[in-house]
Amino acid sequence: MRVLGLIYAPGFLSNGPVHTALLVGGGAAVVCAVVGVFTVMRGQAFAGHALADVSSAGGSASFLLGLNPLVGFLGMAALAAGAMEWADVRDARERDLLTGVMLGAGLGLTALFLYFASVTGSATGAAITVLFGSMFTIPASIVPAALAVAGVALAVIAAIYRPLLVSAVSEDLAQAQGTRVRRIGLAHGWALALAVSLSAMTVGAILSTALLIGPAAAGLRLADRPGRSLALAVLIGLLATWGGILLAYDSYDWTPGHGWPVSFFIVVLVFIAYLLAALLARVRARGVSLRAVHPSGCGQD
Amino acid sequence: MLRRFIVLLVLSVAATVSGCGHTPRDTTLNAVGIENQYADVIAQVAGPRVRVRAIETDPDTDPHEFEASPAIARRLATASLIVENGVGYDPWVDRILAASPGPRTVINVGRLLGLPGTANPHVWYDPRTMPAVAEAVATALSAERPAEAAGFQSRARAFVASLAPWKEALESFKRHYGGTAVAVTEPVADDLLEAAGCTILSPYSLQTAIMNGTDPAPQDVAAEEALLREHKVKVLLYNRQVTNPLTASFVDLARRNGIAVVGVYETMPVGYHYRSWMLAEMSALEQAVSRGISTTRLEERAPRP
Repeated sequence: MRVLGLIYAPGFLSNGPVHTALLVGGGAAVVCAVVGVFTVMRGQAFAGHALADVSSAGGSASFLLGLNPLVGFLGMAALAAGAMEWADVRDARERDLLTGVMLGAGLGLTALFLYFASVTGSATGAAITVLFGSMFTIPASIVPAALAVAGVALAVIAAIYRPLLVSAVSEDLAQAQGTRVRRIGLAHGWALALAVSLSAMTVGAILSTALLIGPAAAGLRLADRPGRSLALAVLIGLLATWGGILLAYDSYDWTPGHGWPVSFFIVVLVFIAYLLAALLARVRARGVSLRAVHPSGCGQD
Repeated sequence: MLRRFIVLLVLSVAATVSGCGHTPRDTTLNAVGIENQYADVIAQVAGPRVRVRAIETDPDTDPHEFEASPAIARRLATASLIVENGVGYDPWVDRILAASPGPRTVINVGRLLGLPGTANPHVWYDPRTMPAVAEAVATALSAERPAEAAGFQSRARAFVASLAPWKEALESFKRHYGGTAVAVTEPVADDLLEAAGCTILSPYSLQTAIMNGTDPAPQDVAAEEALLREHKVKVLLYNRQVTNPLTASFVDLARRNGIAVVGVYETMPVGYHYRSWMLAEMSALEQAVSRGISTTRLEERAPRP
């Protein structure tokens, strides 16, 4: 405990906004890591980013209408996910184009809603909150709803775990096994929408991709078995999010009069985790290839 | 930021184009107060023969987020006297004016008072500000219309004299309740509170974070909550025009702890003049401190003719 005291400024764990950030951020990190692993395996990282940008239109609309921000982010992301799966474009290039156009339309709506919000009422900081997140201003009353959303997303993934995994590896194989690939795709899309709206609310729509694909990609690099990748992704996501909150809290003493934005620390930690994972994977791969050359080698890890 | 830049680009083109068209000489003098409290002071000093207009008039929106339109650029281009707040509060004005050079007087209130660029921009709450503005306006108008100089000067003196009840209210408050601890969400009325002898306990970094819409530090949020929860302050003043879920949670916390809440305005509310506005804010503060009465909205009066 004494060592910990050196790392964090006093009062960290007794601070109200920190509690809320730890809970909502932790929930978002876990869900993003779990859903993100499948999103990365399915090669839908860009779609994940687009969903986040489209969901920002919902976030800004809820600012305009005075709704709970979670409702806005969630509604818009679910709509977009449904639309994307409904369009059912198989060709990868065509899919990228559709995703890109939707992303643009979503951000365009965000700009419109934010403009209306600023001319019809007080919308101080709405743009920053929606696009870059403002974890320490999340009202504590949102915690139960946010954790419930996280729980639903995890339940959806758990319910379709096996077929989702098979179809992520090979759609043909899944089809041969009698899986309804489209239904699985839609379910994954909605779980993705839940994950993305949670992370858009915590680190902001533009940065939410980092939380979605960073820990997942690192987890996939570090382990070959899906279960292990999932566990590692969750661990990395949680460490980055909670570490980011801690650093943001500490940063209050670094520059006079204000702390640094928490979203910055989280995405930087995610980036570092990904770099380390890539490095580790490369070192391991070299070890394996050395062993392959010298079958009598003593390397056993 | 980018959006604002593009709007300005379009505006500057529009302003240049509109500046070229010559209309028959209009003998009425046009004056603009960017914020309506300045327009009010100009009108009182200028009298009936000057057309005075305000740009920022909506008491329900945040002036910090204001964006100009081509119509506003035209209005500014035809004004021969402009009063802007300065101190980073309305930087778009200078950019529009740079696009349409012309003979005009621009009074930058921050510069008039010799304030640094980092000062609290809500300078009109300082009782020393408007007398200086009235004097500068009278001087500018006299240069424009020397024949009417005596009228401008005497009206400026009358305006300054009319503020006496407000200054008396400030002095009386200071005598009775000097040193009263208060919390604020935003620095909007800080100058008024200081003139009234109140002690502002809210962290200034929290106030600027809320004003600028940036991430507040959790330490500051916790400190503000402690002020309200532990009854360390008598009143919470919040800026009605700069609100977000965080300020709403402070107001809510104050209410639950029985602390009086006073909503203050950044733009002069409908039906008020500068003097009556300041008197109304003062009386709301006094009611809150002396009797624990909350005022979140100044009573709307009939709009001025």
